[in-house]
Amino acid sequence: MSGAQTSPALHPQSAPHLRVGMSTRRMTWLAVASLVPALGFGLALFGIPGLVVVGVSIGSALLAELATTLPFRRFTLADGSALLTGLIVGLLLPAGAPVYVPAAASAFGILVIKQSFGGLGRNWMNPAMGGVLFATVSWPGPASWSIPPLGGAAGPAAPPLEALRSAVSAAGPHGATPLAALDKAGYAFSSLDASAIDWINAHLLAPVGLAFNHGALDVLVGHVPGAIGASAPLLVLGAAYLLRRRVIRWQLPVIYLASFAVLSLAAGGLASGGGWLAGGPGFHLLSGNIVLAAFYAASDPVTSPLTRTGRWVLGISLGALTFLMRYFGSWGDGAAAAIVLGNCLTPLLDQWTSHRPGAAPKGAA
Amino acid sequence: MMYPTKLPKGGVDPPSVITVPPGSTILNAPLPPRALIPLLQHAGSPARCLVKPGDPVTEGMLIGRAEGARSAHVHSSIPGVVTHVGPCTLPSGETCDAVTIELGGSFQTSGKPAVRRPWEGMSRRDLLERIRSAGVVGLGGESQPTHLKLAPEGRAVSLLAANGLDCEPSISVDAALLRQRPSEIVEGLRICQVVLSPGRTVLAIGDQSEDLAAAFEGLIANAGMKADVRVLPSRYPGGHEQLVASAIAGRPPSPDPSVVVINVATLHAVFEAVVLEKPLIERVISVSGFPLARPQNLKVRLGVRIGDLLEECGGSATDTRKVLVGGPMRGLSVDSLDLPVTKSTCGILALGAAEARTAKELPCIRCGACIEACPWDLVPTRLFKLVRMGDTDAAFREGLGRCTECGCCSYACPSRIPLSSILGRGKHANGREGHG
Repeated sequence: MSGAQTSPALHPQSAPHLRVGMSTRRMTWLAVASLVPALGFGLALFGIPGLVVVGVSIGSALLAELATTLPFRRFTLADGSALLTGLIVGLLLPAGAPVYVPAAASAFGILVIKQSFGGLGRNWMNPAMGGVLFATVSWPGPASWSIPPLGGAAGPAAPPLEALRSAVSAAGPHGATPLAALDKAGYAFSSLDASAIDWINAHLLAPVGLAFNHGALDVLVGHVPGAIGASAPLLVLGAAYLLRRRVIRWQLPVIYLASFAVLSLAAGGLASGGGWLAGGPGFHLLSGNIVLAAFYAASDPVTSPLTRTGRWVLGISLGALTFLMRYFGSWGDGAAAAIVLGNCLTPLLDQWTSHRPGAAPKGAA
Repeated sequence: MMYPTKLPKGGVDPPSVITVPPGSTILNAPLPPRALIPLLQHAGSPARCLVKPGDPVTEGMLIGRAEGARSAHVHSSIPGVVTHVGPCTLPSGETCDAVTIELGGSFQTSGKPAVRRPWEGMSRRDLLERIRSAGVVGLGGESQPTHLKLAPEGRAVSLLAANGLDCEPSISVDAALLRQRPSEIVEGLRICQVVLSPGRTVLAIGDQSEDLAAAFEGLIANAGMKADVRVLPSRYPGGHEQLVASAIAGRPPSPDPSVVVINVATLHAVFEAVVLEKPLIERVISVSGFPLARPQNLKVRLGVRIGDLLEECGGSATDTRKVLVGGPMRGLSVDSLDLPVTKSTCGILALGAAEARTAKELPCIRCGACIEACPWDLVPTRLFKLVRMGDTDAAFREGLGRCTECGCCSYACPSRIPLSSILGRGKHANGREGHG
């Protein structure tokens, strides 16, 4: 270090001089990457129509972000957040939706919910969930047009949850579990599911006197008509990766799902006439968008409370809201509306639960 | 008495930091051919210069006299001739006059065996005078004149804590002294105990020094003192005075005027000042970082050029992008390698291109990482928004005054928001400041 000793390109700068490895940009891109397995499975099931829906929703999100940032000479696509919103919107929608549904959902999420409040970090509602809710309310029919998945049963392609809802309203109180009720109503699952379940029942469960209903396998892996990103195991796999990398926190999604499951089990039977402790928590956790909503929307830090207490309260509230709308509401799976309502609670929860200077130790300035 | 205590909360573990192993021998750096000795090396007002160009000086000669209520003496660290007296810029950006000395002449003290001078039975006042005339100041970075810290003016001292935890992740000065100069430290602590007569005396050591606890208990017992040894977590910023005091007392951190915390490097200087009557003209610093071939703890003369020390440790000019005086969390990055080591320099850290890279700031995503990292139980994400909006009054109501600018929030922020500097700016705006 002799000679040009004062010349090394030294950069004076304020402390601290080291930063943690994780960055906001990396968090977003990791979230995008963690959704790839569920996306791949969805596209394999729904083919070109699925690709069109996801492509349009992503394209619309990116265009909306560009249109609101380029006039200010800013370029924000590299932070990945618009792409993530578009991707989640696409995964939440069914493959049969006409292109204006994903286009409008993503555009509403980015333009109205995110950018009009100041962009990344300023939105007070989850853009993807708000956008999908906007589209669902605007076009209730088209936004739920489903097509049968690859290898699924032919015929009318209603998601199991919708089919269950019409079966319950047609049959009145029946007291059966969701899959049994669907079976009785003649809902058709895939032939693959039928043969696999029959084999399992005959060879593994018969000796212990148990049996699965048809559809258990289809519902578990998400091989049913409905949203493109409905494969709960692959979504949980992606979320587990995010939890491991500390991109998301466990509290909100886990408490949300747990409170929903407990309420479903305890009081879910009331809606179908089965009474207490006769709900179908498994079926309801795996149907609709609740898993995707819990791990990829409820966990969004921007719209979550800052305090641990706040996260617990919000998680339980989300479970209760989803439960009420799912079992006693008239449409939808309840997750999107619950998230949007829950997001509205966040500032209040922060206000109530954040510690104030009163909690400061004695003698502090 | 040696249960590791947890930090109340917060703190960070920068994984990539190079720390000199405390067990590696503290080496004497070669004498500098020239020393640049600033007259302000302590908190307070500068010392008054007693020499002019052309004056011969001897090693340890008083060249700057303490002036004002808060000040400290400055001594010549090498023998030779004064060649220049003029303004110099310190790493902090402050300027003060500095004395340049060219090495020459003979050594009076170096190389000769140290002579112990009796101090038992001396009055409190005489002990303080020895410490004052040696120019001892806090060597943990905060550089308060030690004779003032040991004279609490009528206040009863409930706790005297010797702080053996280093102030920064890249620094192992205190840990190395604990390992290599234990009896001097215990004697320094005994002197402070005699001066202060505190209610309780504790030697706090970091968990990387846990194996020394029994040895220190033995030394303390041999010296006939009453003092406890406590092992505390060294996770940054565990070495902060308030956190050491709060971990010992088992309460949340806050300033407490009845607690005196003195770090072990300072105790070593107190030992030399009182027992050897040696002025503070050298200190131990950690010189580390990836661009250095041989990171090490060095005993250096005050006034040595930091560029020479980097060279001594095998620094590579091409790999070095940033040079810090201090450590990675609170260090001051310098734009010149000609700056001198002063009493407040605990370490020099060289950073390479990858570490010195600056990232673009993104908006706050409310992830809460700063809240978890804050050891003072603040909500940095709210405070920085209040400060940026100009509402420092509201920020003070939410505890801004407790912020010590430790840097944990900035370190943890994934959006790379300079939270700590923003909070610091807000805290020092309009002149209102809480306890430091």
